[in-house]
Amino acid sequence: MDFRKKIGSFLAITIILLFFFIWELFSNYEIIQIALFSKPSLIFGEILENSIEIIAHLLVTLYRLVLSFFIAMFIGIFFGMIMGYSRYVYRFFNPLITTLMAIPGIAMAPVFIIWFGFGDPTILSIGIIVAFFPIVYNSAIGVRSIDKNHVNAAKIMGANKKHLFLKVYLPHSFTYIIIGIKLGLARCWRTVIAVEFIAATGFGLGYWIWDAYEYLNVTIVYTGIIILAIVFFTIEKVIIREVEKRTIDKWGVLHEQES
Amino acid sequence: MKTNHEKIEIKNINKTFEGGHKVVALENLNININDNEFAIVLGPSGCGKSTLLYLLAGFERPTSGKILLDGKPIKKPSPNRGFVFQDFALYPWKTVLKNIAFGLELKGVSKKEAAEKSMEYIKMVGLEGFEHAYPHTLSGGMKQRVGIARALVYDPEVLLMDEPFGALDAQTRKQMQMELESIWEKTKKTVVFVTHSVIEAVFLADRIFVMTARPGKIKGIVEVNLPRPRDYTDKDFLKVREKVLELLESEVEKSMHQEQE
Amino acid sequence: MYCTNKNLKETIKTTLKNTLIFILPFLVVIPFWEVISQLNIIAQLPAPSEIFEKFLYMAFEIDVLTQHLIGSIYRLIIGYILAVTFGIFLGTIIGLKKIISDIFTPILSLLISIPTIAWVPVLLITLGLGDETVIAAVFLGGFFTITYSVIHGIKTVNKNLINAGKIAGAGKYKLFESVLLPGSLVSLIPGLRLAIGYSWRALVGAEMLAAMIRWGVGKMIFTARMSNVVETMFLGLVIIGIAGLLLDRLLLYIEYRTVVKWGMVTEG
Repeated sequence: MDFRKKIGSFLAITIILLFFFIWELFSNYEIIQIALFSKPSLIFGEILENSIEIIAHLLVTLYRLVLSFFIAMFIGIFFGMIMGYSRYVYRFFNPLITTLMAIPGIAMAPVFIIWFGFGDPTILSIGIIVAFFPIVYNSAIGVRSIDKNHVNAAKIMGANKKHLFLKVYLPHSFTYIIIGIKLGLARCWRTVIAVEFIAATGFGLGYWIWDAYEYLNVTIVYTGIIILAIVFFTIEKVIIREVEKRTIDKWGVLHEQES
Repeated sequence: MKTNHEKIEIKNINKTFEGGHKVVALENLNININDNEFAIVLGPSGCGKSTLLYLLAGFERPTSGKILLDGKPIKKPSPNRGFVFQDFALYPWKTVLKNIAFGLELKGVSKKEAAEKSMEYIKMVGLEGFEHAYPHTLSGGMKQRVGIARALVYDPEVLLMDEPFGALDAQTRKQMQMELESIWEKTKKTVVFVTHSVIEAVFLADRIFVMTARPGKIKGIVEVNLPRPRDYTDKDFLKVREKVLELLESEVEKSMHQEQE
Repeated sequence: MYCTNKNLKETIKTTLKNTLIFILPFLVVIPFWEVISQLNIIAQLPAPSEIFEKFLYMAFEIDVLTQHLIGSIYRLIIGYILAVTFGIFLGTIIGLKKIISDIFTPILSLLISIPTIAWVPVLLITLGLGDETVIAAVFLGGFFTITYSVIHGIKTVNKNLINAGKIAGAGKYKLFESVLLPGSLVSLIPGLRLAIGYSWRALVGAEMLAAMIRWGVGKMIFTARMSNVVETMFLGLVIIGIAGLLLDRLLLYIEYRTVVKWGMVTEG
């Protein structure tokens, strides 16, 4: 099984390289316009020449991502668990949360620009909001879906409220919290990039790409996409997968859904 | 009443599964099954009896050896055989009626005719009134009745049953055994039935083929010459049961050791 | 035993009750919000009454709201239908052969990692600043998710369902049409639901960046910023939120009438 997957990945890389090769060829022989599509050698050159600049932009974006995400995570888990604990609180807030969750972050940018201007305050605020909702929502579900029998079993053994919270509610809802975190993280970085398109000044991958677009620097635009793909593929698949392996998979609690 | 016409000939079958590690499921297996016979393949878990059935169905191909049905080799699945699955395998998006009618429609039968014939079989398995129900609303026993009707409706030469009552509770299981018995009496189809329950085997079989633990071979054949329908408590019944258990005992131990590997 | 239709009265009663529960928090929050705005505690926070006024103005007096909505919905429908068609087509091809799916699934995962908005500059350069770019963005938003869910759906069809079809005499095409395709719906339909969310969000984002379009809810918000009209911006947000919710509910309804009805959903 594993062997086949390795062959598959190997062939996948081959196909990707082939794609770049054809792209380069087509651009060189003017089958596609280089002004519109650039070519891999230029992109590669861009990465090598300006690697420091690119890393700077990347770090700024990551800083915004990590900061807004972690703030959203703590507030979200906290409120989510409160919401899940009380049936009435849950029922009351649930419609609000599902509605607000449906609003794309980039649409909030103009409003926030009027309130906070361009730059970090706007970007971070929207990042927090957008990550917050999936986390709250799933954490609440996590607490709500707890098996009554687990709670009863603990109570009979003499657990008080604090014990219950720490030893029963928290571990069980952990699986759902992880799901919420996955979704929240995904929304967060997509939104941060999008808001950077509109609201960033000076730094950030989004700013870098959009600025390049406005000056019709096609090469940078494509370079940006490739860097985004690599960075976030790594974050989503590798890092999160590692976290999941050490927690959910080990506990065998829940078969997770596609985000 | 039994003819000596060999309906199914299984000659020198070997089946090896490649993969992570090699598994030799069946080794030099030879069986002949007669026309209109209710044949049961009995063995401990992991002995390859389901594999044998899948080979008969054509879902898998043997690594070497031949399987002949009416003298012709079996190469792939085909409606001259019917199959009843342990996990029912009903199509969740089709109603009971549609599940059963599917085989007929594939043969080119008109929708109306297919529906009529299917209703006959629905009545035969005692599911009248449920023809428009979806499978997920049915109990396990009911689902398997649909499975049986679905397998029989296009009149196959042979009926293959893979531990069909394995997923049912003890009472439903007994009930289904008796119902299967009476359905079989009506049609007297050639049946190859796989199970690990000795009592089930003695109750239903004309002949019981006892398999060894993996790699699977035939350890012995027990003929059950009791009149039908049989009585679980009858002393002759119990005698046959003893005989089968003797053959089976050591194989069960072997297979348990294999599981622990 | 098996499901009978609830009688009409009961269904209406439950729907009414659910709608009431849904509206409740808004009934509490909105007056609260109104008071805060009127007291000017937060600068530039329009009151619900002002937003509603703006709604009436834009919808009925100058009649632009319908234009914006039509503009967006038109692009959404075209882009989404393209995503569904190509997604199912490509997903089927990839899902059927193990080798092909082993190769292309990692490529797909890589492409899904790219935020749809990042494609927009490329689209603006190659397709221009008008409708086509927005429609392409809608397409990209939904396409990868749909393709992935078709692949997953086909690969996870219970093997015995396929066997049951084979022994009943189904040929390759019949197997695909009658077993694989319906069997994959349990993954496809939730995938369609996810995809319409992504497509809708992609639409809004692309509309905000496409300079040459005139109508569209995203465009509406963007233009409002130029003239600093917060009420319009908030109106836009409300509309976008409600529309997004309605689209999701629509797909949820489809989910109910198919995979839930057939009992194929394993987990909520």
